Amino acid sequence: MELASSEYAAHTAYDELLNRELLPRPAAQPLFDYLDSLDEGELAARRQAVDATIMAMGITFTIYSDSGNIDRAWPFDPIPRVMARSEWEKIQAGLKQRLSALNLFINDLYNEQRIIKDGVFPAEVLEGSGNFRPQCVGITPRFGVWAHICGTDLVRDRDGTVYVLEDNLRVPSGVSYMLENRQIMKRIFPEVFRTTNILPIDDYPTQLYQTLAALSPRPGDQPVIAVLTPGIYNSAYFEHSYLAQQMGAYLVEGSDLLVGSDDVVYMKSISGLQRVDVIYRRIDDGFLDPEVFNPDSTLGVRGLMRAWRNGKVGIANAPGAGVADDKVVYAFVPQIIRYYLNEEPILANVPSYLCMYDDQRDYVLNNLDKLVVKPANESGGYGMLIGPRATAEERAQFAELIRANPRNYMAQPTLDISTAPTLVDGQLAPRHLDLRPFVLQSDQLYATTGGLTRVALRKGSLVVNSSQGGGSKDTWIVEDSRIVEDTR
Amino acid sequence: MLARAAENLYWMARYLERAENTARLINSTTHVLLDLPLGATFGWANLIEIAGLDNLFQQNYPEANEEAIMRFLIEDTRNPSSILSCVQYARENTRTLREVLPAEMWESINSQYLYLRDNAAIACRSRRDRYVVLNNVIEQRHAIIGLVAGSMGHDIAYQIIKLGRNLERADMTTRILDLNSAVQFPKDSVLHEALMERIWMSTLNSLSAYQTYRRLVSMHVRSDEVVAFLLRDMRFPRSVEHCLGEMESCFTLMPKSQQLQQLAAQLRQRIARNHTNGLGAAALHEYLDRLQAELGGLHDALTQQYFHAYHDGAPPGEKPRTEIEFAE
Repeated sequence: MELASSEYAAHTAYDELLNRELLPRPAAQPLFDYLDSLDEGELAARRQAVDATIMAMGITFTIYSDSGNIDRAWPFDPIPRVMARSEWEKIQAGLKQRLSALNLFINDLYNEQRIIKDGVFPAEVLEGSGNFRPQCVGITPRFGVWAHICGTDLVRDRDGTVYVLEDNLRVPSGVSYMLENRQIMKRIFPEVFRTTNILPIDDYPTQLYQTLAALSPRPGDQPVIAVLTPGIYNSAYFEHSYLAQQMGAYLVEGSDLLVGSDDVVYMKSISGLQRVDVIYRRIDDGFLDPEVFNPDSTLGVRGLMRAWRNGKVGIANAPGAGVADDKVVYAFVPQIIRYYLNEEPILANVPSYLCMYDDQRDYVLNNLDKLVVKPANESGGYGMLIGPRATAEERAQFAELIRANPRNYMAQPTLDISTAPTLVDGQLAPRHLDLRPFVLQSDQLYATTGGLTRVALRKGSLVVNSSQGGGSKDTWIVEDSRIVEDTR
Repeated sequence: MLARAAENLYWMARYLERAENTARLINSTTHVLLDLPLGATFGWANLIEIAGLDNLFQQNYPEANEEAIMRFLIEDTRNPSSILSCVQYARENTRTLREVLPAEMWESINSQYLYLRDNAAIACRSRRDRYVVLNNVIEQRHAIIGLVAGSMGHDIAYQIIKLGRNLERADMTTRILDLNSAVQFPKDSVLHEALMERIWMSTLNSLSAYQTYRRLVSMHVRSDEVVAFLLRDMRFPRSVEHCLGEMESCFTLMPKSQQLQQLAAQLRQRIARNHTNGLGAAALHEYLDRLQAELGGLHDALTQQYFHAYHDGAPPGEKPRTEIEFAE
């Protein structure tokens, strides 16, 4: 298997699979041994088999455009990203630590607000939050947990440090692709699973089911769990139906549900109304309940908030959980961890400058060409300024935006995000990537083994979103002991 | 089970069955054509009428010839009952039903759709390719039925699939039976009788019924006996009476089904009592039309009971066949 040597020669970022001498890192050695055993035609044939499998499995995502919504085949790169178990376990511990602190934080914000009274978290940040829901004040959901499902985006900088880029606490998606990617790899490259000790990932649906079942207001019974989707035209519909199928849950739309005068949520079944105990909602807060939020919403269920507040139904993630999914709040997560858990953060935060503070804002405005500026409440890479790649005019426009609404912006130094070898025109070329593990919490904490690796398929690009030219890879967490054996 | 999911499931089963039976109808027609003597003509317009699609066809095509009709029935997505449309709708419905169907089901239907999308045009061009592609549609359909029977829990969802399949199947059997009325013979043909036998044989073949008919009924293919066999022989799984019997037993396993069970039983008993011997082509055609309307009534009752109890207005997922005008 040939490296695209000219691209790697000019390469400065950390590579996940190759060291500075462009030799395989220990965890990736068995993978490279395997790739070397395939001749060129064989790999090309497997590549085609991957595409055919993705078409047959119907793994798609939807792109919204003027010419209608199109289902695109999921872009997949067959070269996996590999990480040693010892490194992963440290990250896993950090993810769990982070989510449990964030949940304590959210519950505090909606109740006593101790962290503000103790001067650790500024009241003005909360006041400027677009995702704080006054309708949730005074509520403590089961186990005090608000964000039951979290997708945490991780990146690695040039020196090998892994940073948390953001915590997605609203309706994070991508886990179905993580699971399907592994299925594709098993179908197309079954041999490599014999020679490498790759940890399985398929317990996620069971863990998700247990996380949700624990929220049932009728413990003891077999709870009725429903995945609430906006419908078939949503870009993540594939995932909604996939997860419902994997968990044996009902896939419902808002119009399938109603809340009775007894505040219980029912679904319209063929034999009448049937009680729903837990809703895994995949629609945003604002659309959940026209009685409380956006009155024009046809996606939600009238009375759902009433049912939830009165403890008649569990909702994951809880309405209002998004308050901690905010780029400015992000900057405070290390303090949040220290405050609630009395522990040092295991995972690093990217150094962040908050434009609400005069001195930090001045620094940002004077260094726009070196920084990435992000709006507080957006997701999916929208509304960002990547300073070094922007024109002087774009930077000037952004400076105006920042001055007009400083609370809404934060900035970070540009990271030299790591790469991994990716199959491009029959060669392995370095492409930038990130990693989104999924973390669950209700009565217990769980983090996936690895996560969804998203890769920017265009040369030099840093954008990994599937709607903008990104693809994905299987993510292997491999047993270290086995690596030692294989590298001898 | 969710009412909306149940409705999508029911339609998925109907679309799949319709695709298969349309493939059978076309294969049978092609066989009939090959057997026609010089001088006999096939009424293409009648074929479309039998399928209940004459209005829609006339809106979109200037002339009813073989090529136009094949395109209309196989690949034209303006026709909601074309094979490609049916498979496409079935696929869309399956997409919303992954949680109630066996995991392999989506992949199987998706593959069938991809195959047909890529081969429908070829099937319209030549009779030989048509046979290959349509046979493939029928075979893939067998695989799907096998998947449902062998790996799906025999729960409510399973009963709904069976209901959709059997209702559509009964309806299509009456339509395929009606095919013969589309053939017009030259006046005073001496070949008439021999030819009729060939044509009824094609009808039986199209429903994979020839062998069973010969074994269970007669070595001779006579119109009265074929009609009786395809309408009333409980031993043959595509006969109308058999399909209704299947529906009856599905209803016994469904909630709140007493009325529907009765309705299916009454219809089945009525068919069992009716004598069709000696009916001329026109009278038979009229009788079959009436049967189709009664099956439509059973469909309406079922839909109202299970899917629309909480809805008003047009339900999602329903793409009904162009309604047949029934004159008493």
